[in-house]
Amino acid sequence: MTNSAIIEIDNLQKTFKNASEPAVDGISFSIYRNEIFGLLGPNGAGKTTTISILCGLFPPTGGTVKIDGKDLQQNLASIKKIVGIVPQDIALYPTLTARENLDFYGHMYGLSGSDLKDRIETWLKRLGLSEAANRQVSTYSGGMKRRVNLIAGILHSPKILFLDEPTVGVDVQSRNVIIDHLKKINEAGTTIIYTSHHMEEAENFCNRVSIIDHGRILIQGTPAELIESTAGADNLEKVFLQLTKRKLRD
Amino acid sequence: MISKLIATIKKETLLLLRDKVGLSILFLMPMILIFVMTLIQDAAFKTINEKGIPIIFVNNDKDSLGILIEQGLRNNDLCSFHDSIDGKPATAESAHKAVSEGKFLVGIVIPKGATNAIRKNVTELVDETMNTDSLVLNSNSTTDSVEITLMIDPVAKKSFLISVTSNLHEFISEVKTKIMFQTFSDQIAEVIPGKPATPKSAYQKTQIIKYKEIYASGSKEKIVPNAVQHNVPAWTIFAMFFIAIPLSSSIMKEKNEGSVFRLHTMPTPYLLLVNGKIVVYVIVCLIQFLLMLSVGLVFLPMLGLPKLVLGSSFAGIFILTLATSFAATGYGVMVGTLATTEHQAAIMGSLSILLLSALGGIWVPSYVMPEVMRNISTWSPLNWSLSGFYKLFLRGAGIADVLGDSLKLIAFFIGTMAIAYIANREKRTI
Repeated sequence: MTNSAIIEIDNLQKTFKNASEPAVDGISFSIYRNEIFGLLGPNGAGKTTTISILCGLFPPTGGTVKIDGKDLQQNLASIKKIVGIVPQDIALYPTLTARENLDFYGHMYGLSGSDLKDRIETWLKRLGLSEAANRQVSTYSGGMKRRVNLIAGILHSPKILFLDEPTVGVDVQSRNVIIDHLKKINEAGTTIIYTSHHMEEAENFCNRVSIIDHGRILIQGTPAELIESTAGADNLEKVFLQLTKRKLRD
Repeated sequence: MISKLIATIKKETLLLLRDKVGLSILFLMPMILIFVMTLIQDAAFKTINEKGIPIIFVNNDKDSLGILIEQGLRNNDLCSFHDSIDGKPATAESAHKAVSEGKFLVGIVIPKGATNAIRKNVTELVDETMNTDSLVLNSNSTTDSVEITLMIDPVAKKSFLISVTSNLHEFISEVKTKIMFQTFSDQIAEVIPGKPATPKSAYQKTQIIKYKEIYASGSKEKIVPNAVQHNVPAWTIFAMFFIAIPLSSSIMKEKNEGSVFRLHTMPTPYLLLVNGKIVVYVIVCLIQFLLMLSVGLVFLPMLGLPKLVLGSSFAGIFILTLATSFAATGYGVMVGTLATTEHQAAIMGSLSILLLSALGGIWVPSYVMPEVMRNISTWSPLNWSLSGFYKLFLRGAGIADVLGDSLKLIAFFIGTMAIAYIANREKRTI
């Protein structure tokens, strides 16, 4: 892990139209090259809003974001080329096959020809989908869909990869395959920003985590640092519950 | 960029081909619609033409007027002549009852002594003319009037009845004139000694005004307005605009399935993604058009209906069809972008197209609409398209005549795309 920031967030704010409170309330932090950074928080904490802004889906109300040294809003088109996203929902065309889906998304990232074809075949093989590649995605199990969803976000070898709950609703086997390959992608040089409700997975997977709630950062550090600094906590889940309280969220 | 566009077109094509129900809606339903609508409308006219208008005739006169009208009606293809009801000779009362029950569309009662009344009036007129020095008629002489009763089924459409009763009025009037002419001739022969009686055929010489009805089409081909010429273009345009429903549904599906979320994070402009859809759906519209033309050119004639006459400008047809396809596709993109749910898109799309088609003269011709609606009608893109196709198919117009309509449709496409672009940008600026 090199120690220069690939994402610099300064006083980021987002208040949606007609909303009484901000979804993101002046957060500032940096994410370093090649790290796996966990953005954790309960439902409605502001995780997905933060990631959506970083992906260029919508602009912030205030603050600045620099990605790879460039201002996000002024260099949106070029920044989108180095960013990959694996959304929480399965963002695939159910009536297309896995291969057709990946071919389309690959083209949208600017890939084409034999390069695209090779990448598709390589990833389908790595994630155990080669045999089912010509079947429509609608016939896949939840775990298979998650794996195709992941490939669609990493096909273009992005410098930065946003993962919004990439293992939600999948069996242990699929989860292990996904996590193992994400680690390999990270080792190959991709910075990963990861959100999850799965605290044990985050504890093992992330180099650093940030726990946010009500659009603000509550604590930030390595999982070990957070556990150590929280009285009576021996794992990340206890840290999380102490900070965000046990009250149910919408 | 071209590679991305081709990939988008490929994706849209695959999505469309895999949606069997959607495909059948796009291609089969419009063809069935044309079949049904044309057959129904043609059958409505045929019923009148082949079987004739059911008329119950009560002849209480039993003389020239009654006999001549009866002969005329019996020999007229437009009429289905009846003078009895349930095997019994019709009377004024039974005819009234039968018409009110819808058994006959029209009832005619010739009163007793109608011919005698005409003769009497003419005789008096001749007598007065011949026996006095002055041409001033005796104001004390009485004139018998003849009242022929026309009974009309209250359920029948007014416009249709006006046409039928006008014809009957004209026919009865001609018979009456003929009797008057003959009576005049006979009377004059009586009062002028040595003058031979006027031959019966002499009346024909009075028929000096004749009518020649032609359709003022610019085409060298003989284009006769009929159910096929009117229905095929009208329902074709309607079906082409109905593409807005599957297209908007496809946009909504992408939103719901999360593909739009991913696509917006990719280095691909919104317009390029939409252009892929436009290319595919414009091609679908063109295929729809060809299929529906084939219905008019091949399939409807197989059922004994007239063959669709395309006019003389194939370039004009192509330009206008392309412009209509773009307008319909742009409208679909706009609906899909503005709607927030698939259900909303379907309702918004179908109802607005029904409204635009009703305003555009697809259901009823715009010339029969009230002035206010007629003015509103000129703002419907379906009206521009229909007007263009009528020029080509019925008036024998050329490409220059439909350029205005085509440009309006292209302007509509640009307008809808601009709205979709702005709406998409606004929705993302949440």
